[in-house]
Amino acid sequence: MKKWLSLAVASVMVLGMITGCSPSSNNSSNNQEEAKVLNVCNLVNGNLGDKSFFDSAQAGLEQLEADGKITFKTIEMGATDADQPKWLETLNEVSDSGEYDLIICGTYQMPDYLKEVADAHPDQKYLIYDDTTYVGQSPNVANMSFKQNDVGYMVGVFAAAMTTSGYTNTNEDPVIGFLGGVDSPVINDFLYGYLVGAQSVNPDIKVDTRYVTNYYDTAYGKELALSMINDNNVDIIWGCGGTAGNGGAEAAQETGKAWFIGVDSDQEQTFAEELAAITLTSGLKNVGDGLIWFIDELNAGNEYWGQEICLGINEGGVGIVTDKNFANVPQEVQDAVLAAQEAVSNGEITVPSALSDGGNAEAIALRDSMQP
Amino acid sequence: MLEQIGSMIFQTDFVFSIFRITAPILFAALAAVVAEKAGVTNIGLEGIMLFCALFGTLFAYWTQNWFIGVCSAVVVGVFFALLIGFFALQLNTDIILAGIAVNTMSSGGTIFLLYMFTGERGNTAALTSSKLLIPTVEIPILNKIPILGDILSGHAVLTYVAFIMVFLVWILLYKTAIGLKIRAVGENEHAAESVGVNVRFIKYIALAISGVFCGLGGAFMSMYYSQSFNTGIIAGRGFIALAAQAMGQGEPVGAMFSSLLFGFAQALRTKVSGIQGVSSNLISAMPYLVTIIGMVIYAASTMRKVKRRNADKEKNQ
Repeated sequence: MKKWLSLAVASVMVLGMITGCSPSSNNSSNNQEEAKVLNVCNLVNGNLGDKSFFDSAQAGLEQLEADGKITFKTIEMGATDADQPKWLETLNEVSDSGEYDLIICGTYQMPDYLKEVADAHPDQKYLIYDDTTYVGQSPNVANMSFKQNDVGYMVGVFAAAMTTSGYTNTNEDPVIGFLGGVDSPVINDFLYGYLVGAQSVNPDIKVDTRYVTNYYDTAYGKELALSMINDNNVDIIWGCGGTAGNGGAEAAQETGKAWFIGVDSDQEQTFAEELAAITLTSGLKNVGDGLIWFIDELNAGNEYWGQEICLGINEGGVGIVTDKNFANVPQEVQDAVLAAQEAVSNGEITVPSALSDGGNAEAIALRDSMQP
Repeated sequence: MLEQIGSMIFQTDFVFSIFRITAPILFAALAAVVAEKAGVTNIGLEGIMLFCALFGTLFAYWTQNWFIGVCSAVVVGVFFALLIGFFALQLNTDIILAGIAVNTMSSGGTIFLLYMFTGERGNTAALTSSKLLIPTVEIPILNKIPILGDILSGHAVLTYVAFIMVFLVWILLYKTAIGLKIRAVGENEHAAESVGVNVRFIKYIALAISGVFCGLGGAFMSMYYSQSFNTGIIAGRGFIALAAQAMGQGEPVGAMFSSLLFGFAQALRTKVSGIQGVSSNLISAMPYLVTIIGMVIYAASTMRKVKRRNADKEKNQ
């Protein structure tokens, strides 16, 4: 009996594999006649499931594959110190194999490894996202960065308009909060835009900025957020520190005295009901859309090897969530955010960046002057 | 600046937060105290707590009941503590290595288990709801008293349990037969063996008790302190607890005071981080700095005591 059962299960699985594979292989062969289907390797120096960064890249690649533009393989290399030695090794391995038209990796942790490998494999093409350390130094590497300062600006406008809008659970004090991961240029780039955006709505606004000093201690993030709410009457908190930033949402939900804004992905969708309810919007950094844009450009004959590509609103690289909870906030707040989005996208407003020369110091000076 | 710190410290929510911060460290410190009393060093606190935090959240979610979640965390804590015991006592591995193995296994193992059970890989923020969290209690009468009520009432159930446990552990160690055996084994196991104490059994018991406390601490982390589990959630609290145990001279009450000292420093760090121009990186060292200062003061005072005692001895001679 057992034997028959296992045989039946096995044959169903095999059938599933055959039927599952056949359409996609048909697809790719059809498309091959139109444009070359790129074979892409996506190296994740962490794990999928972060619900933001790496998942976004993965979703973008899946979309590209579904559209028949690429075939791809994702390798999860792990995030811990013990995993780090694997990063260089894997990068070398996939480069040596010569199977891939493009190798993708990302984050500030990868550029040193990539530089070494890219220089040793001059015929291999690479794309690194969210890092600009060695822009232009390797002619076979494209650097993709995101205008997170533009995200910050729009979120800043939103938060500053909300805090004095008289919306439920907000108080009269014009004080908003920023819960960052680590005091570093990329996080401060978000912050710089946030500060400038908030000031554009209300020149007297105060911004309580705290850093968890890592990206994982949610409990301490919550502790900081509670202090913001209790000590400085903060009623809008932007969590900008990965999982640690989620502590801001928990503090807001438990006290009932504040609202939360998410980052990178639409966090309202990733949270369970109660946390989602207090997440009014999220600042988006769409790695996946950036990758789709990049491949489309390649197919259109626009190559960016050895250059930096900085994606903003117009390329779909960044944005702000404007539906669900956002649709319930006061109309004037919504209008202010949409106006800011428009102004940033058509270039009326140029948001300063912490990634420019001396920008981080300027951001820090502004941050300290606006601390309540 | 000092004025600013002062106005922040003399607030009820500051003192309230000290207890909240202290509770998980205290649980882990008690776990270390009991194990160390029996002569086994449980260095795997951090990893055991991480497993417990995961299973606490998962069972609470599956059964939609926080209490079952906490109980499951305790069971898991005992399981992993006994696992360390099995390797160290049965198979004669170095217990430090067994502890390190559990710590190492926890960071990848919890991701694996989380993914296997829920399909989530990063955290459980999509599964949580406030009825699955450890509830807070308002203590009648006490909560009517101004200031004191604000500080002592309204904590999570487990926060009270943590401080009650200090007393219970003291009773266990000093007023029960099993406590006497635990201490005897820790003091000199050959002597204990010679009077018919089953050394290995007592060590297992001590490890199991230590697992119970890890379970409570882990559940506290993912089911109250933070509302969800993620793989970095314990964030070194298990190691801090080892320091608290050492600083408290391996005694439950001493461990409580050193945990409170650490809780105070962490609460202070939280407040100071809101002050203009203070670097978050610099003050992140504050809890550790306070711990070091505390240890130096303690060492200095014991040294003076020892010197005085020696001097007295010489006089008497």
